[in-house]
Amino acid sequence: MNRDEAKIILQLYRPNTADVDDLQIAEALALAKGDPELARWLEEHSARQNMLREKFRQIEIPAGLKEQIISEQAARTKTVRRRETTVAALAAAAIVIALIFSAQFWLSQHRNDSNMFSNYQNQMVNFATSPYGMSFVTNDLRQIQNYLAQNHGATDYTLPASLERTAATGCAIKYWSGMRVSMICFRTGKSLPPNQQGDLWLFVVDRAFVKDAPDDASPQFAKVNQFITATWTQGGKLYLLATEGDEQAIRKFL
Amino acid sequence: MAEGVDFEDIVARYYAPLYQFAFSLARDEPDACDLTQQTFCIWAAKGHQLRDASKVKTWLFTTLHREFLGSRRRQTRFPHVELEGATDELPVISPASVNRLDVTQLTGALAQLDEIYRAPVALFYLQDCSYNEIAEILDVPLGTVKSRLTRGLGRLHQLLSDKPNL
Repeated sequence: MNRDEAKIILQLYRPNTADVDDLQIAEALALAKGDPELARWLEEHSARQNMLREKFRQIEIPAGLKEQIISEQAARTKTVRRRETTVAALAAAAIVIALIFSAQFWLSQHRNDSNMFSNYQNQMVNFATSPYGMSFVTNDLRQIQNYLAQNHGATDYTLPASLERTAATGCAIKYWSGMRVSMICFRTGKSLPPNQQGDLWLFVVDRAFVKDAPDDASPQFAKVNQFITATWTQGGKLYLLATEGDEQAIRKFL
Repeated sequence: MAEGVDFEDIVARYYAPLYQFAFSLARDEPDACDLTQQTFCIWAAKGHQLRDASKVKTWLFTTLHREFLGSRRRQTRFPHVELEGATDELPVISPASVNRLDVTQLTGALAQLDEIYRAPVALFYLQDCSYNEIAEILDVPLGTVKSRLTRGLGRLHQLLSDKPNL
């Protein structure tokens, strides 16, 4: 390193700083120690650098800046906290309201529909029209009765004479409101759509479990969508017979 | 916020050097106040992400510089002016001449520097930042810092030596 190179390097040198740790600067400083001309240049350079640093630090700080920063931050924090509290409170209120509405809805549904005859009627028809698997497939009504007995379904039912003569296809046990309902499937002779294992269904359940069900032994007819249902009570059992069509279509099985 | 670092302590320790740096960049008191304020506002919001408490100073200066650059990008009234080639040797300006300068003249000369030289020069004189710290704050390599400082100091000294009363 020669004198000119040292000067270029020392342009970035500030006395009394960590600049001396820079290897190039350290080398240039060492050179200045043995070079009187470079040493004089360095002395002047250092004085100039110190002066400039001092001058820069004379940039006046506005009075109250620190206090302003702290107070504005405090105000901002307070506003943010208030906003967060408000948002949290609104969210909590919304959740509570949603829970209340959900509970009311559930209770009203439960209170109104659960165990009610209309619910039973709709659900049995829905079950008959949706794809299902029969638990036991047979044409033998006696075997059906035995199967239902073994599986704790209602068995002490009495079939109308016309239904006794109708071809059975099997049976299943369905659960409704925690109760077992015996379902016996028959075939009326019509062609069946895929997944349908019968086209005439008889559901038997204990009458005591179904609120507002007809007490009459003579059938009462009702349309449920495209289905016709006949409902009657006999011997403590509620019978619900369902098939597609109108009242005339179902009457011939009663 | 970096562990064990209190907001008010940070403000008390750094608001003055940060303001001086902001002023040297913006050369306008309200703008410098805004930049300083905004830097601490960002610190309050994001300072907790800083795990190393020893990096607080660098973090604050980096943030202020970024804010300054961001605000400059939003203002189109400052055209970008390229500085002429590097000066190998500083123009001669005596310490006595420097002593006659007032802060306005000094910051005026600094303001005439191109933006890429202004920040390193300000950090160099104002904060005694090491070259590594300047590199970290400005997010440029160490070699670039030295090169910008050399050019920036050369230009600044030239501007100061051109002052008629010096």
